[in-house]
Amino acid sequence: MIPLLILSPLILLAALGAVWKARPVHAALLLALSLALVAVLYLTIGADFIGLVQFMVYVGAVAILIVFSLLITRPSDEAEEIQRRPRSMVTGLICTLPVLAVLLIALVKGDPLTLPAADAPPLSIARLGELLFTTHAPAVLAVGVLLTAVMIGAALFARDIEKPKSNQPEK
Amino acid sequence: MIFATVPFPSFTLESLPQLPKLLVEWLLTLVGAPDWLVIIGGTAAMAGTVVGVFLSAFALLSLVERKTLARIQNRLGPNRAGWFGILQPVADGIKMLTKEDIVPTKAEWLLHLAAPILIVVPSILALGVMPLGREWVPVNMELGLLFFFSVGALTELSVFMAGWASGSKFPMLGAMRAISQMVSYELPLIISALGVIMVTGSLRLSDIVAHQEGFNFGIIPNWNLFTPWGFAAGLIFYIASIAEANRCPFDLPEGESEIVAGHMTEYSGFKYALFFMGEYLGLFAIAGLGVTLFLGGWQAPLPFLGWVPTWIWFFAKLAVIIMSYLWIRGTFPRVRIDQLMRFAWLCLIPMALLTIPAAALWVFTGKGIVSWVVTVPLLMIPWVILTILFNRRLAPATRTYTFADS
Amino acid sequence: MNPLALLLTLSSLLFALGLLAVLTRRNAILILVGIELMLNAANINFIAFWRYGPPDPELTGPMFVLFSIAIAAAEAAVGLAIILMVFRHTRSTDLNKLDSLHG
Repeated sequence: MIPLLILSPLILLAALGAVWKARPVHAALLLALSLALVAVLYLTIGADFIGLVQFMVYVGAVAILIVFSLLITRPSDEAEEIQRRPRSMVTGLICTLPVLAVLLIALVKGDPLTLPAADAPPLSIARLGELLFTTHAPAVLAVGVLLTAVMIGAALFARDIEKPKSNQPEK
Repeated sequence: MIFATVPFPSFTLESLPQLPKLLVEWLLTLVGAPDWLVIIGGTAAMAGTVVGVFLSAFALLSLVERKTLARIQNRLGPNRAGWFGILQPVADGIKMLTKEDIVPTKAEWLLHLAAPILIVVPSILALGVMPLGREWVPVNMELGLLFFFSVGALTELSVFMAGWASGSKFPMLGAMRAISQMVSYELPLIISALGVIMVTGSLRLSDIVAHQEGFNFGIIPNWNLFTPWGFAAGLIFYIASIAEANRCPFDLPEGESEIVAGHMTEYSGFKYALFFMGEYLGLFAIAGLGVTLFLGGWQAPLPFLGWVPTWIWFFAKLAVIIMSYLWIRGTFPRVRIDQLMRFAWLCLIPMALLTIPAAALWVFTGKGIVSWVVTVPLLMIPWVILTILFNRRLAPATRTYTFADS
Repeated sequence: MNPLALLLTLSSLLFALGLLAVLTRRNAILILVGIELMLNAANINFIAFWRYGPPDPELTGPMFVLFSIAIAAAEAAVGLAIILMVFRHTRSTDLNKLDSLHG
């Protein structure tokens, strides 16, 4: 319980920074920090495999993708700051606070909160692997096809720009 | 103080590296410390031992590398500081520590400071799960191999932070190149390790080493390198590890004639020493992983050499791999960025993917002569096809130069 | 407050923060940051119920989270590729400027 109490405010602070900071790269790095802290949270709970996979995929791949794209799409002038217009922040809060209220009310009123905490069921890799490749094998194959399609699609997107668009006569 | 009668810990030559930990634990239980303090003290002593061993190896390597490269290039290398230059690492350390620490005005000082620290930390963490001897595994995690690759992911983000926080163009460009290289070569690295995991059936590194014990025909060790899929996977792992560690011929991100010093350009003094240390410790970590996965870890190479302590075998094999890295560094020219990417995506990844069905077929057909007959063509025929394709159609276009007076 | 309630509160707040990022940010990539936060909030929810809920031999929580992580990574890749293509066309990632179908 104590690690959770320490980690939760840190995660929320990092996520708040990711949402609030004006410089995009700072926001992306704070997102990486909050994802890394969520991975640490998974490790303290006992979901070792999920925590390490979260670290490897989110911090090691998604965060790097995001910062890379931020670098490529940097504006040429130094005014990277996002001028947050007060009107859009108010609109955002008006839309977000009801969602938060619904979630928290469901939490308070729901029965599952009185469940006794089970003593740590260890996440056994053998069981995970067995389930993945017997019960959920079609899902694994579908995700494989999805990821292959994503890779091919992203590569095609990147290649598109190399088609010569001008019709200069060849020398 | 309560002197309980705790016997002095017995140790053999085999468990000699455990001695600091055993001593600290013995002293603490003698003084009557509570259990948790004994555990913390023992773990700290173990961590201190590993870090101390690898830092002295790092210092030694920096000298050995310069002497070896010098001899390859027909010169002498450092020989002023002490007998045969043996005090050169000390001189380097003093120099690094006493240099002025310059932070550019346009740099973000917090990220600029955090980046070198975050590059050293994953390398040291990765060294903690390595099985260095039969009884010397600092942290015997059940998911050791996955932990190794996860902390490797942190290195890439730190390289980006180093490049971006420096606030100037060379580091930025160097960081982008370094990240693309590291991300591209991480795929063959992990895929080639998948075959080993499949055959062993466990992610625990000490299990992988224990799986490779025994000798075939009485003389050939049962290492993963001496199987067809293991040879292919080991070769791919070797090449990918050179690229992951940003070593020549893949040191485009830090080649002086290309990009000054890449993401490390704006660093001076101790922070540069930390980068240097992080790179070399990462080299030890990844070479150590290669030794564990493919060369049998701490197993002895011949049956009658089993009396030698196992950690000596580990470090001997590690030394052989690192010397081969130095040899390659002194011999090969640097590859271009498009050659690098092409090689990773069009050659290494298909071959790495082929090692997985090869490993599966190896196990299903019983690891005998039939397995050799089945897996060797599975690996060799696509390799030959790839080589022919690379020489003909997939080669990068020859550069045409137009001169000013034509 | 038991651990389950703490984790569910954390995940609700994280979800709300992600939603706020999606609704108020102008840079398209920072909206993706918000989407990743929302996905993470849902993952925390699954893991919390697996750990502090009734024992589940089917490991539904971690299964779901594994697939969710994979799909989130795929979606981030595709989303960023689309954003880069749009950037090449319009030289801007400001979503307020992308308000006409005419390229």
